[in-house]
Amino acid sequence: MSNVKTNKQGLSRRNLLKGAAGTGALAGTATLFNINHVWSQDVTWDGQPFDAGGATLRINEWGGFWQEFMQANVLDEFEKTYNCKVAYDSSFPWFPKYVASGPKDPAFNVGNWNLNEIIKLSRIGDFFLGTDEMKENIPNTADCWDFAFGSGLGVTWGFGQYAYAYRTDLLDPAPVGFKSFWEDRLAGKRATYITSNGLQQVFFMTSSAEFGSGQTDMEAGFDAMRRAMPMKISDFTGNMQTLVERGEVEMGVQWEGEIFLQMDKGIKVAPLTWDRKPILTQTHTVSRYSEPMQKKLSLALVNAKLDPKFQNLAAETFYVRPSNKEAVLPARLTDKGVTNTASALDGLWIPDWNWYLDNEDEITETVNEIFAG
Amino acid sequence: MATNPTPARRKRREAAVPLVIRSLAGLTLLILLAPMVIVILAGLNSGDHLSFPPEGLSFRWIIAFLNSDIFLPAYGFSLVVALITMVFSTILGTTISIFLVRTRFVGREFMRAFFMSPLMLPGIVLGLALYLFYISSGIGLIRTIPGLIVGHILVTCPYVIGTVSAALVGFDTSLEEAARSLGAGRLQTFRKITLPVIAPGIVAGSVFSFIVSFGQFDVSLFLTPPNSTPLPMALYISLRYTFEPTAAAAGIFAIFLVVVSMLITAKLTNLKRLANVNFS
Repeated sequence: MSNVKTNKQGLSRRNLLKGAAGTGALAGTATLFNINHVWSQDVTWDGQPFDAGGATLRINEWGGFWQEFMQANVLDEFEKTYNCKVAYDSSFPWFPKYVASGPKDPAFNVGNWNLNEIIKLSRIGDFFLGTDEMKENIPNTADCWDFAFGSGLGVTWGFGQYAYAYRTDLLDPAPVGFKSFWEDRLAGKRATYITSNGLQQVFFMTSSAEFGSGQTDMEAGFDAMRRAMPMKISDFTGNMQTLVERGEVEMGVQWEGEIFLQMDKGIKVAPLTWDRKPILTQTHTVSRYSEPMQKKLSLALVNAKLDPKFQNLAAETFYVRPSNKEAVLPARLTDKGVTNTASALDGLWIPDWNWYLDNEDEITETVNEIFAG
Repeated sequence: MATNPTPARRKRREAAVPLVIRSLAGLTLLILLAPMVIVILAGLNSGDHLSFPPEGLSFRWIIAFLNSDIFLPAYGFSLVVALITMVFSTILGTTISIFLVRTRFVGREFMRAFFMSPLMLPGIVLGLALYLFYISSGIGLIRTIPGLIVGHILVTCPYVIGTVSAALVGFDTSLEEAARSLGAGRLQTFRKITLPVIAPGIVAGSVFSFIVSFGQFDVSLFLTPPNSTPLPMALYISLRYTFEPTAAAAGIFAIFLVVVSMLITAKLTNLKRLANVNFS
């Protein structure tokens, strides 16, 4: 790989054309135009800033306040440093856009999105760099915990544990474990999400594992959903926050960051983390067949997101746990018992998304029927 | 020509409408207006979350909207896109209507159905189809503002075709024949006779196209260019993550815009009607 790196760094389409013209290899010139994507697979980056000549980097990432934060804390500076423009697409869903464009002409160069959709896309085609390739070309990956590469695709820069949010003032005695969700007193006052929401998908697999023989015990999962009815079904996490805050829901599926946020706003809620520790991840993908300049910029942008200083800011703002060992947690996380140590990561669990995707149609149809009933 | 009925005549006409029909009409109006009232009250909520009934009344979310780096630019972007869409849809829709109503040829009905088909197709399907077309054709419209506007024109043009065609169908062509017999050319006849008569249909169609474009979500979901978010998309994104009443406050301004558009339409179409009465 080191030889390849040395050779490729000095290459550009212009240089190649000059070389080809110099040797009079006219036929070869035409070929070089056509193998652009082959070269793009081998782009490397040494971690040093470079001039992108005003190139545009297309990224897909969450919108709203999240976008404002990214713009202010990473992207503005990134555009200046690398002399590039970042085209930010917050119009979820991105999955069909990737599929429609195909892997060879990717809709986006960098993505920050849901692991289940990343895996679903990787089953369709060779869209993304693998973790080994990202480790080789992104210096800050050296300081990341191993779980940041646990999915085998892309690199995770932030995460949080799935949990229940429960109302401390309305639930006495307090719930004690994952199965407390099914207690009779919570009938109609517990809540999860629609089947297309990743939180519900993880909740389903965890229920299957807790009540059955494992996360792939679908029937146990269906039975758990049936026994949980009546319950409220939320579309998005924002809606769930409102339901919990207003007391319409006394216990709901959330992820810890949003519960911490509510706690700091003075709302009487607490997290009940699950013994199994499924995590919500913020995972970056880099499109394999981007143009060389865009690909190099992609590697640089992911490196910036893995920077401990950025991760500190993200933790401060979104209560997202960092994947970089060197990141320092803000007080608002440490005072809730969160640490950034190797032991804090013990038992973290990434559900078997491949299995879920294999069975998604059946699960979705059956769970929708249960929820509708 | 139509003249305004006297109050006594209007009363007699209203009395002729059965009570059941009037009740149903009133109920329908209530159902149509209720969401608007809820949005307005939710936007004036003093609480932290989008909820109904409001915890109290306050302008805090209106102020948040006016200071927002997301909603205000999104509102402006939607406004510009809707205005451009309206202009193109009006010109194209009117031209197509005249062609469809005034010419006789085999396949005319098929062509009419073809032009109206964006109304029948789910917006998501249309958006995805356009997205695929832009990619596969390589015509440079993917992820661009012109690409988004083309999508909006496709969706809104049928409204103009519908209203202008309706105006043309009831059009008395002897007026044009009279103008021509008095020496007016084709263009002059169109400008002086046809256009004023069908103007209410054109205005109504163009306002519909503006409103539909301004609130367009399905097609925009696929065609929105990076760094430029239309208001419906911004509202959707906001509701996904924060569920703040700023979204409802933005809704108040959107409703305001639509109501103003409708009032302008009503005013303009009435003026035209009055103008027609005076001319005759």
